Amino acid sequence: MQSKQYSVKVYETEIHDEKEFINFFDANHTLFKDHLLVIHGDLSSKIETYLNEKSLKYLHNVNLPKGRTRKALEEELQSEKVEQAVSQEIAQQELDKLSSRLQNNLTVMDEMIRSGRELNIAGDLLLLNRVNSGATINTTGTLIVTKVVEGAIRCHGNFMMLTASPKANIIFQGVEVDNKLLEDRLNRVELKNNEIIITPVLKKEINWA
Amino acid sequence: MGIVIAVISGKGGVGKTTATANLGLGIALNDKKCVLVDFDIGQRNLDMILGLENRVVYDMVQVMDGEASVKQALIKSKVNENLFFLAASQTKDKSVLDSEKVQKLVTELKEEFDFVILDAPAGIESGYEHTIEFADAAIVVVNPEVSSIRDADRAIGILDSKSHKVKNGEEVAKYLIINRIVADMVQSGEMLKSEDILEILSIKLLGKVPEDKGVIDASNQGKPVILDKKSIAGQAYGRIAARLCGQKIEMKDVEISDSGLFKRLAGIFK
Repeated sequence: MQSKQYSVKVYETEIHDEKEFINFFDANHTLFKDHLLVIHGDLSSKIETYLNEKSLKYLHNVNLPKGRTRKALEEELQSEKVEQAVSQEIAQQELDKLSSRLQNNLTVMDEMIRSGRELNIAGDLLLLNRVNSGATINTTGTLIVTKVVEGAIRCHGNFMMLTASPKANIIFQGVEVDNKLLEDRLNRVELKNNEIIITPVLKKEINWA
Repeated sequence: MGIVIAVISGKGGVGKTTATANLGLGIALNDKKCVLVDFDIGQRNLDMILGLENRVVYDMVQVMDGEASVKQALIKSKVNENLFFLAASQTKDKSVLDSEKVQKLVTELKEEFDFVILDAPAGIESGYEHTIEFADAAIVVVNPEVSSIRDADRAIGILDSKSHKVKNGEEVAKYLIINRIVADMVQSGEMLKSEDILEILSIKLLGKVPEDKGVIDASNQGKPVILDKKSIAGQAYGRIAARLCGQKIEMKDVEISDSGLFKRLAGIFK
């Protein structure tokens, strides 16, 4: 495929009155010989024949792209590149943090957390039992609870995994989580751009057959 | 050598003392020697429910302080010769208890009786902690309502951390009695179901006791409701006492009322 690029001068105008328009072009049409006309408004047949007579090239009712200076374009490209690099770096750091934490500081518990108990965990916690009403759990890392939570949980990790817990009081990274959004399965709770994102992880029933 | 059972609840007013009195009498009716000890110092009630308030001469605090012997302080029941009672002090407060004194008293009673049943005070303060400290087992009494369940959960948590047995690496057996069940309210979903309560507390179910107006009158008369053969609560306590004495008795589903059953049958023949 062959293609060529031209730079064209554009004259943009709007028709308000037929007579006024033709008078204006009668006086100035030689100036617009090398221009592309972009015309808005009512384009009557009279004007159309007039423009063809004068062999003027025109477009009707077309929105032109907003022009940008070369400098602005270059700056924009540059900042995009920097942003990409920064976000990649942050993602890598987060991943490193998560994997080192998961390997070094994971607590696994299989006991019921009864009312009145307060668990303060430095690192990640995998809890395979219930959290009863009146109990509190604080973790600096990721929190995964596989059974129902009826107490209060405060998690400062990268994410949480919880099942449906309609009576729970859940605060993730200082933001209260609406427990009605937790479906009846394991849900992943994350914070993205100051917004809580809840994604169901496992299907409710696993069909082994 | 007998077994020491603490009757606990966390929340007050759920029927702890009534359960203690009825189970004690039920055990005695099964020909086992049983003593009931009221640990609710400063607010004793068990003597009234057993109808023995006029017979109290010495209380357990005087026994622990050496002012009276256990034999002098024990009060024999009017209805059954296997049942004895040790009263709480009404004038002193909980602070008079200490671990050594409690252990000495409990050990002494254990040698004499098959069952030593301690009626714990409501709440989770020092009086409660002393009651559970040297118990071999605990009976948790709850009502089918959320506040009772949460308080019981807390009481179980303290039992699991403060008990002498647990500190020695052993386990304290825990049994649940669900008291004051109203069948219609369970069916309509207004009252918590037994399964839900068991799920939350995760201890063994010992029995379910239905709500029964006769209980209040029985307590006022000083004749535990278990003596009333027609009372549904009395029958339930009879079954629980028999289970404690080692008999295998099936759980009766008190959550289905007779009227509910008739309604369902009527529905079939419509």
